[in-house]
Amino acid sequence: MSKIKLFIEQSWLLITASFFFGLLIAITNTAWSPRIEQNKTTKVDDLMKDLLPKAEKFEQAAELQIELEKGKEVTSNIYKAVAGGQCLGWAFNCEGPGFADKIELIVAVDERFEKFAGYAVLSSNETPGFGDQIKLSYYRHQFAGAPAGKLELAKTGDAEKINSEIVAISGATVSSNAVVNIINTFVVQVKTQMQEKGLIGDDK
Amino acid sequence: MTSDALTTTSLYKRTLLAGLWRENPVFRLLLGMCPTLAVTAAVKPALTMGLSVVFVLVCSNIVVSLMRNLLKPHLRILMFTLTIATFVTIADLFLKTFVPKMSETLGPYVPLIIVNCIIICRAEACASKNNVIISIIDALGMGAGFTLALCILAAIREFISTGAVMEIKVLPAWFVPWAVLSMPAGAFITLGLTLGLVNLISKKRA
Repeated sequence: MSKIKLFIEQSWLLITASFFFGLLIAITNTAWSPRIEQNKTTKVDDLMKDLLPKAEKFEQAAELQIELEKGKEVTSNIYKAVAGGQCLGWAFNCEGPGFADKIELIVAVDERFEKFAGYAVLSSNETPGFGDQIKLSYYRHQFAGAPAGKLELAKTGDAEKINSEIVAISGATVSSNAVVNIINTFVVQVKTQMQEKGLIGDDK
Repeated sequence: MTSDALTTTSLYKRTLLAGLWRENPVFRLLLGMCPTLAVTAAVKPALTMGLSVVFVLVCSNIVVSLMRNLLKPHLRILMFTLTIATFVTIADLFLKTFVPKMSETLGPYVPLIIVNCIIICRAEACASKNNVIISIIDALGMGAGFTLALCILAAIREFISTGAVMEIKVLPAWFVPWAVLSMPAGAFITLGLTLGLVNLISKKRA
């Protein structure tokens, strides 16, 4: 009995404070979490709109499980870009390791999944001035119009030529390679699974 | 005014000004080095970080000061950490809600305010020993000193690494930006040179 009394004497302030602080955080989180979720959705929508500017809206078409290295699986949300009731293309999120941290991308392809419409960086923490150039159009433009399949990274070449060869950013080969690897990992699996689900094909 | 009132006013003034120069947390006490090095590549994130620290510092100093007579000596650090973590979480949620882009720019450095030495130092050195008014003034002074130091370092780094301040272009197009200043090496170089300058000024004033 005396041990319980001692415990309460010593810790009542900590227990009470934990309860009130927990309550304060819970109230704040409840009040603001819908807006935080809305911010995330808006960002994804804005990026998709940049990649497929003619689209009027984006409808979530599927949730696919993509297998990464070492048996890890991640979910990729597939969005259908629609304008006037017609499909203009597809966009999906993908992720993978970068130079410093995880890189998250939004990749867009045409309606038949034959060509890339481009990619946009959803989040990354690459080196300022070097790796973070993956966000800049002079590197990103190489992907727009490239065949929607496996891409290859070249250290030198003509960056103006639009094909499956992507010329790396000088001084940031690791980040450039990370983008190509992420897209390669996802694009093949997404295309296969979408064909299996009947989302794309000859009659679509 | 009575002499007591004058003494109290001068105490408040001295407490408020201490954080700006004499006991500036960055330039004099070398506290809070993690955000000082990490988020000073540009002025906007530095200012946001500074204001977040001011909010956490003021709130935690108020709470610690109010419960100072109830604190058990061996549990005080735990109580400080609990208090600080609560307000840091609220600050983090606020940034994610109202300035999501800035929240992304600051990344993990907002949650890391929990382990910022300045806040736990002020809770231990001031708030746990003084009344609420002194604790608030101390938090405002220290917070302002921290924000000012971050903004000075960020202005130097942003100016030289991009030719702009607050994203407003200042230098002409022919200026070749020194990208190194926006990188971690640039943070150490700028901090080292600024500390040297602050020491030089202090010696001359002494």
